Amino acid sequence: MPSSARISRRNRMPRLLGTKLSFTRWNADWKSATSLYEQAAIAYRFRKDNEKAKDAFEKASKGQEMISSYPSPSDNMSISFNIPWDAAKHMESAGALAKELGLWNEVSDFHRRASEFYRECGRPQPASDALAKGASFLEDKAPEEAIKMYDEACSVLEEDGKEQMAFDLYRAAASLYVKLEKYSDAAATFLRLGSAADKCNAINSQCKGYLSAIIIYLYAHDFQQAQKCYNDCSEVQAFLNSDQNRCAMKLLSAYEEGDAEEIKRVAQSSAINHLDHVVIRLARKLPTGDLQAIKKDLAGDDGEDSLDENDLT
Amino acid sequence: MSVIDILTRVDSICKKYDRYDADKLNGANVAGDDPFARLYASVDADINECVEKAEAAKQEKNRATVVALNAEIRRTKAKLLEEDLPKLQRLALKKVKGLTKEELATRSDLVAALPDRIQSIPDGSSTATKKNGTWGASGSRTGGAIKFDTSDGNFDDEYFKGTDESNQFRQEYEMRKMKQDEGLDIIGEGLETLKNMASDMNEELDRQVPLMDEMDEKVDRANTDLKNTNVRLRETVLQLRSSRNFCIDIILLCVILGIAAYLYNVLKK
Repeated sequence: MPSSARISRRNRMPRLLGTKLSFTRWNADWKSATSLYEQAAIAYRFRKDNEKAKDAFEKASKGQEMISSYPSPSDNMSISFNIPWDAAKHMESAGALAKELGLWNEVSDFHRRASEFYRECGRPQPASDALAKGASFLEDKAPEEAIKMYDEACSVLEEDGKEQMAFDLYRAAASLYVKLEKYSDAAATFLRLGSAADKCNAINSQCKGYLSAIIIYLYAHDFQQAQKCYNDCSEVQAFLNSDQNRCAMKLLSAYEEGDAEEIKRVAQSSAINHLDHVVIRLARKLPTGDLQAIKKDLAGDDGEDSLDENDLT
Repeated sequence: MSVIDILTRVDSICKKYDRYDADKLNGANVAGDDPFARLYASVDADINECVEKAEAAKQEKNRATVVALNAEIRRTKAKLLEEDLPKLQRLALKKVKGLTKEELATRSDLVAALPDRIQSIPDGSSTATKKNGTWGASGSRTGGAIKFDTSDGNFDDEYFKGTDESNQFRQEYEMRKMKQDEGLDIIGEGLETLKNMASDMNEELDRQVPLMDEMDEKVDRANTDLKNTNVRLRETVLQLRSSRNFCIDIILLCVILGIAAYLYNVLKK
C-alpha cells in the first residue's frame, strides 16, 4: 500500500534527520523533524492507527516546544509570536487520540500540558477549553480527576476575569458532584456560579444558581444549611426581587410546616423547571427524609433562637 | 324732565346715600349678629336652589345632565340633613337677647318644618322603589359589590328572590370565571418560559460581545496586512512587466524559434 510505505518512510525520516546527534550533525534539527513528525501524525490518524498517531503527535509537540524555546535568527515572525501554540494544539490532538485508546491517565496528562502551553501563549480561554475537554473525556471513567480538571479550568478563567465563560463549566462540575453524591460540594459549586454571575451582572443565572444550591441542600436532608444558604442569598438585592426567591421561600415554608403536598406542588412550579435538569430531577424527588424530624429540629432551634434574641451580649 | 329721568336720578341718589340708611344696616347687622338667622338663611337659600335644580332636571332632555343634577340635589339634601339641621336645632334652643319668647317658639317650629321641606325636594330617587321590584324578578345581582346611591336605605326582604334563572346565571358566571383563571394560568406559565429564554439569550449575547470586538480587531489587522501585501505585489508585478523587459522577452523568443526552425530544417535534410 503506497500510503503505508510513505508513512513508514516519513516515520523514519525524522529520526534520521532530526533528533539523533551523529558525527556530522552537532545540533538536533528540530524544525524539519517537527514538520515531518506532523505529517506522519496526520497520515497515521487518517489511517486510524491511533497508537502511532498519538506518539507522532507527542513528538511533534515536543519538537514545537523545542523550536519555540530556542528561536534561531532565521525563524519567521509567526513562530516567535505564538510560542508554544502548535505544541499545545498537537498535545490536544494527542489527548483526543489517547481517549480513543482508553489511556485515561495520559488523557489528563496531555490536556494539562496543552493547557499550560496555552497559558504560556497568554490565551486563558483555550487553556480552560483544553482542561474542560479533558474533563469531559474523563467524566465516566475517572470522575474525581474530571472534577479536578473542571475546577482548574474554572480558576483559570476566574483569574483572568472572564467568568462568563465559566458558567457551563460550573454546571458540569456540579452535575458530576451530584452524580458522585457529594451534595455539599455541588451546592458550593452552584454558589460559586452565583458569585461569578454577580460579577458579570448575569442576574438570571445568579438566582438560578442560588435556587439550585438551596434545593440540593434540601435534598441532602440538611435543612439548617438550606436555611442558612437562603438567608445568605437574601442579602443579595438581585435575588430578593426575583421569581426564584419566591419559589425558595415557598419551598422553605412548606418544609417548615411539614406539608409534603405543598412541597411537591412547589417542586412542579415553573421556576424550578428552568433550572439544570440534574437539579430538576432532585427537586422532583423531594421531600426526602422525615419531615417530622425536621420540624422537631426547627422547634428546638426556635427555642434557642429566642434565647439568643433576648441575650444582648 | 320726564318721569324716567326722575326715577333714574332718584335711584342713583339713593344708592349714593345707602350707607346712611340706618334701617337697612341694622337689618343686616341683626341677621349678622344672630347665627341662627344666618344659618337659617343659608339653609333656606340651599333648599330653594335644590328646588330650582329639580325643576330644571324635570325639564331636561339629556339623561346625563339629569343624572348629574339629581346627584347634586341628593348631595345637598344629605348635607343639609346631616350637618345643618342639628346645628339649627341647637341654635334654635339658645336664647339670644332681643328676642321674645314667641320668636323662640317660632324658630323651633321653623326648624321642625325644615326636614319635611328638604325631603320633599324631588331628586329622581322616588322612582327607584318601583324599579327595585322588577330587579328582584330578574335577579341580576352582580357580586354584591355595588351600593345603591339612594337615601331610601330600607329594602324589603322580598327584594331579592333566588329564582332558577338567577341561580343558573350565577353558576354559569362561576364556571366562566374558573375557565378564565385556567387560561390565564397557562398564559402565565408560557410567559415565564419566555422570560427565562429571553434572559438566557441576554446573557449569551453579553458573553459574545467582547469576543466579537476581539474578532473585529483581528480582522481589521488582517485586512490592512492584506492591503499592504497587495500593493507590494502590484508594484513587483509592474516592475516585472515593464515594457522594456517585455520586448526583450519577445525578441529572445523569436530568436530561439528561429534557431529551432533552422536546426529542424538542417536535420530534416
